[in-house]
Amino acid sequence: MNSIIKLEIQKKTFKKKGFSILNDFELEVEPGERLSIIGESGVGKTSLLNIIGLLDTQYQGSYKLFGSSVKDLSQNKLAEWRNQKIGFVLQESALINSLTIEDNIKLPLMYANVEKDPTVQDHFKQITNKIGIESILKKKPLECSGGQRSRAVFARAVMMNPQVILSDEPTASLDSKNKEKMIDLLFEMNKEFNTTVITVTHDLDLANRHERIITLESSEG
Amino acid sequence: MRILKFFITKIILKRWILVLGMVLLLLLANYLTFTAARSMISTFQGYQEIETLNQEGTFIANLDPNSEADFDRIEINDTQKVYEYLNSNYTYALQVDGFVTSLDNKHDMEVSFNYINEEAYKTKQFGLSQGNHLNFNYQFNKEEIPVLVGAGLATTYPVGSNIEITDPVTQQLVNLKVQGVLEKNTHRSNFYAPNSKNYFNFSVFLPINEEFIQSAGLDLHVNGLMDIVLLDSTKEQALNLKELIQENTGLEFNFFNQQENLNYFEDYYINSLKIICIITLILLLILVCLATWNTLVSIRLMIKDFTIHLLVGLNHSKLRAIFYSYFGLLFSINLAILFVITAFNRYGFWLSKNSILATYGVFGLISMDWFALLIVLLIDLIIGFAIVELAIRKIKSIPISVGVLD
Repeated sequence: MNSIIKLEIQKKTFKKKGFSILNDFELEVEPGERLSIIGESGVGKTSLLNIIGLLDTQYQGSYKLFGSSVKDLSQNKLAEWRNQKIGFVLQESALINSLTIEDNIKLPLMYANVEKDPTVQDHFKQITNKIGIESILKKKPLECSGGQRSRAVFARAVMMNPQVILSDEPTASLDSKNKEKMIDLLFEMNKEFNTTVITVTHDLDLANRHERIITLESSEG
Repeated sequence: MRILKFFITKIILKRWILVLGMVLLLLLANYLTFTAARSMISTFQGYQEIETLNQEGTFIANLDPNSEADFDRIEINDTQKVYEYLNSNYTYALQVDGFVTSLDNKHDMEVSFNYINEEAYKTKQFGLSQGNHLNFNYQFNKEEIPVLVGAGLATTYPVGSNIEITDPVTQQLVNLKVQGVLEKNTHRSNFYAPNSKNYFNFSVFLPINEEFIQSAGLDLHVNGLMDIVLLDSTKEQALNLKELIQENTGLEFNFFNQQENLNYFEDYYINSLKIICIITLILLLILVCLATWNTLVSIRLMIKDFTIHLLVGLNHSKLRAIFYSYFGLLFSINLAILFVITAFNRYGFWLSKNSILATYGVFGLISMDWFALLIVLLIDLIIGFAIVELAIRKIKSIPISVGVLD
């Protein structure tokens, strides 16, 4: 099967801090794979996620996503792919406080120009219903609990039915009940739409529920 | 448009104090530029008018500001002697403005009677919208006096119509025949303050000849001397006249020649303009720095909002377009405010029936106003470009992954 992600990094250097990470790192991910990345703090888990998610293109090496070399893609194309092909499940603070939860979740729809599409409206209702945030849609993030905000970030990430979902500590601020709900939804999408799921976590229990686990180790750079 | 509306209503206006601050800073910068630009344009226009008199053998009278003038002791016999001497020995241009009188007109404005001799008329080269130029060979008290009227009087007094009125300087009943209509906004700049102008939209121009001058009263005689211009003359002749005027009227005049006028203009006006330019530039620079600082503070406060948008699909080209549109909107608001203030000021002269300053223009603004607005627009383009590019650079310098968790 063709890899959806084919990454060969020689190193990612932080010039100001004077060190490098991900030295001679290689990664291939198949479509629909569930991959978990674990490791100590500072080894480059989040940096790796940023590279995979097209947020960071400053590294030495090559990266092919969906069969295209990322370095050949324009900034506009990268933005389009971040909008339509990649979903980011970040920490609960990654919401715009001046917008309502609904506006926050619908942001990717605005950039894809599909916000008024009835199918998308149905999808929005289904997602918000499944993760139990209908009651907070008109609220602002600061009026919600940490768990509610985490679920809103998750809803925004899956709103465009992306081919890859990148999660950075997705369950960190959730109670066990909501944690299960979110993991179930994540894996349900994985099954139903063959979505690739890549999760960075310190939670070994969550990591073990993925098909493959990668452990990043620190390397002298 | 949809995204721009979203950004303005849901992101930017949420920090309305910063927006208001930005509007005020840019308005101040625009107003400053507008005022300075208009002052320079007006001075330049005035200088061009005066330059026609900056010729060899031309001497312009100027009452010595250090002398003590006692106008009460001047009598008509004294000034008549001066004018007799002038008529016999000199070629001179004489124009006296501002004898305000009541003359019915459509706009109910006060009308100013202006008197001009042939030499002054030749140098002015007034443009006419209708009719013919003045002729000066009429017989005072025996014939109709051919006159020109300002554009504001053209409807009430069209070419060919007659005006019967008591002339304000001779106090005699005269019959004026409208021979032509001046172009709109015909004006005269002050010889020694080129940015100060009198508009002739509600003026009547009477041609004056020696006969008329001899019949005129003291007011015309004295006022005429204030700006009299000797043509084809010499410094010695000018000094002779200066002595004669002083002897007869007690008034001390200076007669400046071309070089002296140029020096005066350069010493006084060019230096004033330089100071205005430097102060304007410094203030503009301070205001632009403050506006840039305001933008950077706004970005610092909104970096999370911007980077979340970049995370979910916004690209830098669109963000740049949003910023340019936003600043375009702010500058448009400011230009509209400037336009309204200027139009209101111009309209104010009509409301206050100030015939000397009432002007015609497109939406109330005259050409120098539009030109100054164009300069403001150009400055705005430069300011907008600098601020937007700096803002985009600032946003690009913050990684999206860092910004979203700010």
